Amino acid sequence: MLKFIKKNKFLLLSVLMLIIISIIDITLTYKAFTNTWDQVLSMLMIVPPIFALIGLFDVWVDRETVIKLMGSNSGIKGMALAFFLGAFSAGPTLAAFPLALIMLKKGAKYSNVLFFLMVWSSLKLPIVFYQITTIGFKFSMIINLTMLIIFVLGALLSEKLFKKEELETLQKKAINYSK
Amino acid sequence: MSIEAYILYAITALLLLISFIKDKDKTKKGLIKGAKSFFQLMPVLLPLFLFIGILLAIVTPEFISSVLGPESGLLGYLFGLVVGSITFMPPFVAYPLGVELLANGAAYPQVAGFLVALMSVGLVYYSAESKLFSKKSAILRNLISFIGAIIVILVVLVVY
Repeated sequence: MLKFIKKNKFLLLSVLMLIIISIIDITLTYKAFTNTWDQVLSMLMIVPPIFALIGLFDVWVDRETVIKLMGSNSGIKGMALAFFLGAFSAGPTLAAFPLALIMLKKGAKYSNVLFFLMVWSSLKLPIVFYQITTIGFKFSMIINLTMLIIFVLGALLSEKLFKKEELETLQKKAINYSK
Repeated sequence: MSIEAYILYAITALLLLISFIKDKDKTKKGLIKGAKSFFQLMPVLLPLFLFIGILLAIVTPEFISSVLGPESGLLGYLFGLVVGSITFMPPFVAYPLGVELLANGAAYPQVAGFLVALMSVGLVYYSAESKLFSKKSAILRNLISFIGAIIVILVVLVVY
């Protein structure tokens, strides 16, 4: 029982919140469910191509190539590739997780994978274009350039904060998720 | 479906076609592998949607407008960062909201901090992210993005 609670904290928290908002205002609950359904639908829309890409990546791109392009000795080129992959993407950050896992599995450097995730979350091109049309070019560029610098430094620093064994565990986990 | 989804489909279809022409069996194997990892990852990701659904019901754009007003001051900055970090919002809702906030008199740095936190910090993903990668990794990514949001506020303060 305790194990179940521990493993499903998040789900239980959601149920608790649902109960609370039902007491406050039942229309909120209804809205929450419609939202959830919409989210699931929009996710399912982009899921097929993402997982098809993961599968193709798995069979066509071998470990040596990934290690050469994005591994521990890939340097600036590895980072540039991580940026490119993150920027030319579509979908919520959630959709990037499976892709990040397969990169780790194939031997990409942790900092590059982290950088990829961060670029995906806020610097992907569809977002940048949309940003410019809404909040304007100057405002967007100030935000994006600042974040780009922070992401580069942050990713490099994070790698240093991990012990070798921790990085190996990360990779093992990633391998388990796509057997 | 959004334009970006169409592009994603188009690219995938093209790559699948090339892959299929080059090697039929390999393509099949790849698709099976993709489907397998889909079924392995979905149980981790699904509970998230319920949470996001609840959040979207409570934290509406109107709610945010009422909190990030022109007279919200320093507390408003903090609130923008926190609300941005916790909630989830698709970009096509977030950026028009940013424009509206500016039009209603909210300050540029405040809106910038909110938008950056909203996009880059994903506390809703924390549970899934720490399961798939590690707690440390999930915390670091969010922390870096949060610090980034604060630095963006400072940069915008200087520029505007």
